[in-house]
Parts: sequence; C-alpha cells; structure tokens
Amino acid sequence: MQPVTITLNGREVSGHPEMTILELARESGITIPTICNEPHLTSIGSCRLCLVENEQNGALLASCVTPIVPGMVINTESPRVMEHRRMIVKLMLASHPDSCLVCDKGNRCQLHQIASDLGIGLLELQRIPQTAAIEEVNPFIERDMSKCILCAKCVRACQELVVEGALDYFQRGFIARPATLNNSPLENSECTFCGVCVALCPTGSLMEKKRVYQGTTKNLVNTTCPYCGCGCSISLEVKDNYIVAARPGKVDTENEGTLCVKGSYGFDFIHSPDRLKKPLVKVNGAFQETSWEKALEETAEALNLIKEQYGPDSLAVLGAVKCTNEENYLLQKFARTVLGTNNIDNSSRLYNPATRLGLGTSIGFPGTTNCLEALEQSEVIVAIGTDPAASAPRVNYAIKRAVKLRGAKLILIDPRRTKLSSFAHLWLRPKVGTDLVLLNSMSRLIIDESLLDKEFVTRKTDNFDALPGALEKYSLEYAETLTGIKKEEIHSAARLYALADQAAIIYGTGITQHPGGTASVKALFNLALLTGNIWRNGGGIYALQRDNNGQGACDMGALPDFLPGYQSTEDLQAKKKFEEHWGVSLPANPGLTALEIMEQIKAGKIKGLYIVGENPVLSFPRSDFVTEALSSLDFLAVQDLFLTETARLAGVVLPAASFAEKEGTFTNFEGKTGRIRKAVAPAGECLPDWEIILRLANKMERPLPFSTIQQVMEEIEELVPLYEGYLDSEGKYQNEWGFWKRRSHRWHSLKGFPRFSTAEYTPPEKKINEDYPLTLLTEAVLYHFGTGTRSSRAWRLQQFSPRIFIRINEADAKKLGLSPLDKVRIISPVAELTAAVSITGALPEGIASLPASFPEAPATRLFDINLDTETKTPSLKACNVRIERIDDHE
Amino acid sequence: MNDIKTISEDELLARIKEIIVEYSGQKWALIPLVQKIQNEFGYIPPPSIPLIAGSLGFFPSEVQGVISFYAQLYTTPRGRNVVRVCKGTACHVRGGKTILKLVKQHLQIEEDQTTADMEYTLETVACIGVCALAPNIVIGNQVYGNVNPKKLGQLFKRNGG
Repeated sequence: MQPVTITLNGREVSGHPEMTILELARESGITIPTICNEPHLTSIGSCRLCLVENEQNGALLASCVTPIVPGMVINTESPRVMEHRRMIVKLMLASHPDSCLVCDKGNRCQLHQIASDLGIGLLELQRIPQTAAIEEVNPFIERDMSKCILCAKCVRACQELVVEGALDYFQRGFIARPATLNNSPLENSECTFCGVCVALCPTGSLMEKKRVYQGTTKNLVNTTCPYCGCGCSISLEVKDNYIVAARPGKVDTENEGTLCVKGSYGFDFIHSPDRLKKPLVKVNGAFQETSWEKALEETAEALNLIKEQYGPDSLAVLGAVKCTNEENYLLQKFARTVLGTNNIDNSSRLYNPATRLGLGTSIGFPGTTNCLEALEQSEVIVAIGTDPAASAPRVNYAIKRAVKLRGAKLILIDPRRTKLSSFAHLWLRPKVGTDLVLLNSMSRLIIDESLLDKEFVTRKTDNFDALPGALEKYSLEYAETLTGIKKEEIHSAARLYALADQAAIIYGTGITQHPGGTASVKALFNLALLTGNIWRNGGGIYALQRDNNGQGACDMGALPDFLPGYQSTEDLQAKKKFEEHWGVSLPANPGLTALEIMEQIKAGKIKGLYIVGENPVLSFPRSDFVTEALSSLDFLAVQDLFLTETARLAGVVLPAASFAEKEGTFTNFEGKTGRIRKAVAPAGECLPDWEIILRLANKMERPLPFSTIQQVMEEIEELVPLYEGYLDSEGKYQNEWGFWKRRSHRWHSLKGFPRFSTAEYTPPEKKINEDYPLTLLTEAVLYHFGTGTRSSRAWRLQQFSPRIFIRINEADAKKLGLSPLDKVRIISPVAELTAAVSITGALPEGIASLPASFPEAPATRLFDINLDTETKTPSLKACNVRIERIDDHE
Repeated sequence: MNDIKTISEDELLARIKEIIVEYSGQKWALIPLVQKIQNEFGYIPPPSIPLIAGSLGFFPSEVQGVISFYAQLYTTPRGRNVVRVCKGTACHVRGGKTILKLVKQHLQIEEDQTTADMEYTLETVACIGVCALAPNIVIGNQVYGNVNPKKLGQLFKRNGG
C-alpha cells in the first residue's frame, strides 16, 4: 500500500491509508487532547475535543474519526481550533458538579487535566450541574452520573471488550446517561463487576466503592493476576506500602485492558489481618510464634531425621500451582537433590493430567496449541466442558468477541445453561459423562462424509489408519441413545466444525475431571487433526488451566514423573543432563502422585510431607481421609499465606509472601509467561517462597547454588527446553506473541508428526444407586476461587457472594418439596454438607450443581477417592447424591 | 388498536414473539419491528425488549437505548386516543394555554399521562401547521380548530368532562 502524505502543523508526514489524523499525529509526536478516544475501543468522536482544522477549506474535523487523505493540510492548534476546544471543555464543566476537591478521582480526572492544560479558569457560562442519585448497594462500583460527560467509554467497554452489554445510553439530550436495562442498579443487571469501565472512566463518574484508603496514588506496579489460569496483566496502585486498587494492565498487554471481578476487586487478602506474620511451631498441640532460625532448624532436623531413618522416599513434597515458575523449579530441585526423592506433585493433578497425557501422546506438546488472540479469527469455536464466564473470564470475553463482533459460530457442549448459551449457534446438552461418545461420533461422521482435510491427514499426521475401525461403533444412532442429543444436531455440529476454514476447540475441567478424561482429550485432538485445525491461526486446541500457574508448575517439573520441561525421570539422557548440571545423582524411580502420597501416608510409608501453598484438606476428595492421613505424619511443614485447614495440622507453619510481595513469573494456560513484581513489602516477617526453600536447603546442609531470583531464572533458561530464551539480552522477560509462537513451533518440530490415537468409551461401572438419585456437578463461580482461601478474605467478593447455594432444577425441587433459600443436607455415600437451595431452569432434570470454592462447605468432600487409572486424577466433577431439607426446628 | 386490558401478559408476549420471529437475525429491522409492536399495542411492553434483543442479535440495553432515544416510541401503555394540545405561537396568542388547562381539568390528568380508563393520553405539541384555525387540538387523528371551552366540553362529553 502506498503511504499517504499530509501536512500536519506545517510539517510533511506520512502514514498508511487507513490511519486517522489522530493516530498519525500521535505517531508524529503531536499531542491532540481527547477524552472519548481509547486505542482498543471503536472511535465514535463524541467528545469533540480532538478537533483539528483543515486549512484548505476551514473545516473543523474530529481527528479521531477522520481518515488521512493525500495532500491534506491540517493544523491541530490553530486559533479557531483552540477557541472551539476551550468552549467545548467549558460547556462540559458548566454541566459538571463543582466537587473536584472532594472527588476521589483527584488529579487522575482527565477533564480536570485537559481543563488545566487549556488554561481554563473561572467559567463565564451559567452553570447547570446535572443531578443524579448515587447508586449504593453493590460492594464494587459506585456510579455518580452527575459527573458523566457522555464519552461512552463504559458503554463501549461493556459491549466491545467484555461483551456483557449491561450498559447503553438511555434517553436523549440533556438527560441522556449510560444506563442498564430498565435503569436498574448494577447488581440487578447483566453487570459482572469486571471493573473495566471503572478503569476507563475519565471522570469520577464510575469509581470503586469505599476505597479502604483515600488519596491519589502515584506508584503503579505492573504485575500478573494470581487467580485463574488466564494470567491477565494487572497494574497495582500503591501508596505507603498499601495496595489501594488494581486496574487492567496497559493496553498493549494480552488482556487488552480487560479484567474480571476478582482481578479488579480481589486483592484485599494481601492486607488481611489473618495473614501469618511469623513462623509458627506446634508445642503440645498449640501453635507458638517463633523465629525463622528456630522454625527452619526444626524443619531441617525433622526432614533429615526421617530421611536417615526411613530413606528419602519416605518424604514427599506438594507444591505449588500458585507460586512462581522459579519457586516451582527450586521446589522440585529441592525435592530431587536435597531430599533425594521424586515424590513431588502439585494440585494441578486434580484437573490437568488428562491434558498432559491426552495432548502429550498426540502432539507431544502438553498444553494449549494457539494463543488467545488467534481465537478471535476462528469461524467456528467448540466450547466443551467449560463455563469460562466463571472459570476463565478472559477466554469468555474472547469467545464472545469472536461471536458478536466477528461473526464466529459457537458450538457449546454443556448440559447446563451457562452465560455462553445465548451466544451459541448450536447448544448440545449431552448426558453427564458421555462427551466422548459425542466426539467420536462427530469424528466418524467427518470421515464417513469425507469432510476431512485429506492432504493434511496424509502428509502431516501419523496413525490415521487406526481411526476408522476404532470409530466403527460410534454411529449417530448409537450416539443419540447414549448422549441424549438428537442425531440431526450431532450431524450439524460435525458438519459445521469440519466445513469451517478455521475452527478452534476449548475445553476445561468438565472434560479433564471426569474419569476417562484423557480419552476425551484424545478424541478432541482427533477432531482437530482430521480437519487440519492444529496450529492454524483461528484453529487449535485450548486447554484451560484452573490455577494461575498450573501450567508453570508442570513445565518446571513439579511432577513425580517428569523433570523440568517434561523430560521423563526415566529418560536416561535427560537424567544424566540434570545430574551433571546439578552435581548429584537423581532418584531413579518415578515418584508418587498427589493422591498416592495421601494413600502412602495412610499406609505408613511416607513419614514427612512438605506442602507449599496448597490446601489438600479442602481441595482433595475425602477430606476426612486426608485430614486423618496428614495428622498421622511424623512431620508436616506448610508454607502459606494463611493458617489454612491444612496448615492447622502442621508441626511447623512458615509464613509466605504473597504474589504482590515478591518477584518472578507465572505461565498462563496459553504457555505465555507473565512477570510478577514486588509492589509492597512482605507482611510481618513473611518471606518469598523461593527464599524459604533456599534457607531451608542451607539449614539441611545441602545448599542450593542460588542467592538471587535472577540466578534461578538463568538456570531455568539453560535447562528447561520450553523456556530457552524467555529472558532477553537485558534479562527481561520475552512475552510477545512472536516469541511464543517460535517457541511452540520449535517444540512441535522436535516431536515429529502429530498422531491420531483411538479413544474408547467405557460406560461407568457403577449403576446408579437409588439412595443417591441426583447427579451433582461441581462448578466454578465468578466471585470466588479455588478453595476460597484468598477470595473469602477479599471483603467485596465475600460481601457480594457470602453463602453457598446448591442449584437444582425446578422439577427436582418440586419433587423434593423445596423452595428457594431452603437449607438442605447434600448427602453422598462418603460425606454430607449443608447449603441453601437456588432453583434454576439452567440445569436438566436430575442434575444439581454446587460451587467448589466455599471453605465452609467444600464440595470436594462429597467425593470418594476414585482415581483415573492412567492419570491418577481423582474424579471431582460429578458424583451421586441425595438432598434432604433441613426443617427450621432442627 | 387492541384493548390491552383484555389480554393477559402471557398472551401479549406470545403475540409479540410471533411478530419478532419474522425479523429474526435481522439487525436492520429494529425500528420497523418496534413500530409494528407499538402499532398493535400502542406501546412497546418492556418485557419484550430482551426478546427483541435476543432475536435480532442486540444487547437488551442497546434496544432500550434506541427506544428511549425516539420520542415517538413508548414503553408505557397509552390511551386509545392521544390528545395533542398545540402550544405553538399562534395557538398561544389565541388562548392555547387556557385550552390546555381545561383539557387537564376535563381529563383529570397532567401532560404525558393517561386516564385510568386508558381512553385518553395527553400530550402537547409545538405546532400542527393549521395556525389559521388556532387554537387547535388533535384527538386521535382528528384535528379540531377554533376550539373554545364550550366546544371542548362536547369533545370530551363521553368522558364525563
């Protein structure tokens, strides 16, 4: 394309033809004031502040919406422009309240900044301030519409970025304001309190509620969100060692200026009074505060003693999906070289191994194959076994943007109605646990109707011949009987997926936490491979991770059967490489997985356990069994932020620094690394996890050769195949898409062609027990996370979502005589819980769902330990229960 | 126009769904669609907004935004007859203000309100273009010129004015 040359303030400048005057001016270093323009939102030219004069014809143009035309002569600061610009700001001020001194927006108010830049003093206009009631009920966002200047950034953010559409203009003229449907308060609208509008609002019109700390903050720390696997970049506002607020990271980051409610309002836990401040040791059954010196000494002695007495394999380590890559690397090195055992696992065992095995055996790449930006180019998106609106909001935004703004078609496979259902082109509701049958029948249909990408299959894949035979029995009729989905619907889903040029697949714990999840992952991969949709932009497979660093913990080798970078512990060459580098001989046998560790503790084989940032009492199935096991240990040490249910069972509790109090990296579900940076000093005497591990190794007289986090990063770069070059020449992290793509391609090319693998459906063995007629699904909720340890200590989240509800279908509720808010006992064969009832049309009959993130009623407790034979993942998605009402007099 | 009192909300929504179906997936049709609904019921019932949005591919707040933008679209029920009293210059000098006061007395409602029996809705307009006949009022589609208190009494007799 020919560049376009225009004259800007008397200087010739050129840009590409689709640029606006504003963009070109910015590129040329000319500042044009604007309020309603935001680079990642559609320009609408509503504030008119960016007016410029076309000197050829005297026209005043809004530069944000005027494309450059060859030969244009533009003046951005002519006397006419300045006169109009001042008048526009004066008019805005005339209808704006006079409350700047008490407005919390303070110096960050763009209207205020622009007015002072333009030298506007006292107004000669009659002031007609608008009045508006301030909305007060929800704990997140306060709207004062009297300060609104109608820039529509909130409206556009809501519609274009997070695609909730809770807001649009309401009414016309002077009384027009952004409003929700029926002008109702935010908590009664579609709003999910993501806080993106608050971050974009130029005035004090949208503010976060009740800031615990008043005053303008100047210090911004760019870091990465520690909640879900999306790894959004966030910017923490810090003043006087206090985190005042969180905002979406800068616009050029992965999350495009978006966050979710947890990312915006979930960080009070850092300053919670419940934080551990000093190391604790248990003396006669009660905790006593002690010094680091003594606590580490006691830990080192106990671990050394057990190692001497019972051998290294009587020790085990559980860590650390919430900790950094560097900490996970250190932790596995600590387990393997200091303790001398492969008994190390992390709690992504609860949801991730199906991906590692399923994708690992097929492409050798144990995770998501494409990046999220590419998803928005998809024509068809299949979302299966996931409710990203609750578990991975950034993925949810991307899917909705693809559907709403780019016309992609969504095939949603989920028995529940979720927030995505209204975006779905096809919504298939299989019976619980029959996804594999559905996927196999789609594959068979694609082969039968010759919809496959023959060239790709013949030239770029292996083992196709095994597939048609294995799929023989998965006819549409068979699938209809088992899944309960009409065969016409399966047929159209298969055709839609196969005929799209780019089609992506997204799956989550609804696949991986079911027994047999590995087979379903393989079946999904077969679908992608048949249609040539691997690696294509807009294609690929997205394996969602629950935790912020579930991916990183596995990449770093915090696994019993893999050294860092998925190099098998039994691969002699890899073992030798690490042995040479680390200067020790490594244990030969693969170690025990998380649940096996619990079983072996119970069997008396494991005597000492070291837990970093995990809470198995709540997150593992059968908490009674886990509690009993942990209590029977000779020695248990726990490193955590809080005195969790697990930490209470420990002999030594070591207070750890939170993500905002240390340095390092997280790896998100796409495989991209995000930097975390220290924003505040650690609470009390807390230390970063990496420092605790290093100090402990010193105390055990097997020091690890690091003194700074930088040295750990350098070793990772040298030894971990996926992380070569993740630091650039200046020691900074590389995180841009090009780097990521090169890295994953290099990895793919190492492993040869991707392979088809057959995936056989095995019907569940157990028949439904009539005593437990309902199927209970565990689900993620938007306002809480994990076991709730952190989110329940963020006061806004806790206030907005304080109690646990079990959702049940209307028909089931009628049968059981339940009304909303009734208290019920949920009884499974192994345990019972109480919760309040919420009646919904979103679930099919016979299915109930319970969120997993409320510490007072951990849904995991209802599950028996039922391990997948391949992955050793406990089944934590669906179990059978019955529900009984608790009468008030009880 | 139908008498909206005689059909239940379920029937109303069922009928609205029938109208909406014709325009399914067609974003351009938003305004003709809401006009069609308004022609049939006299207003656009708010529960129909999410249905319209879902069918055409808008957010409900967007549909509400469009409806609330246009003065000719209503979300509250309207009387069977809309009474428009002219407040234009000619009508004003010929006593339009008094006429408005009298209409309010007759109907016992204020501007932009509807009588309890859903018979009349009162509005004011800036000019209806027949200044020669000032003062004017319009009831339904019928224009009445040279209105005086006596004539007004006859016009609203039925209403017991």
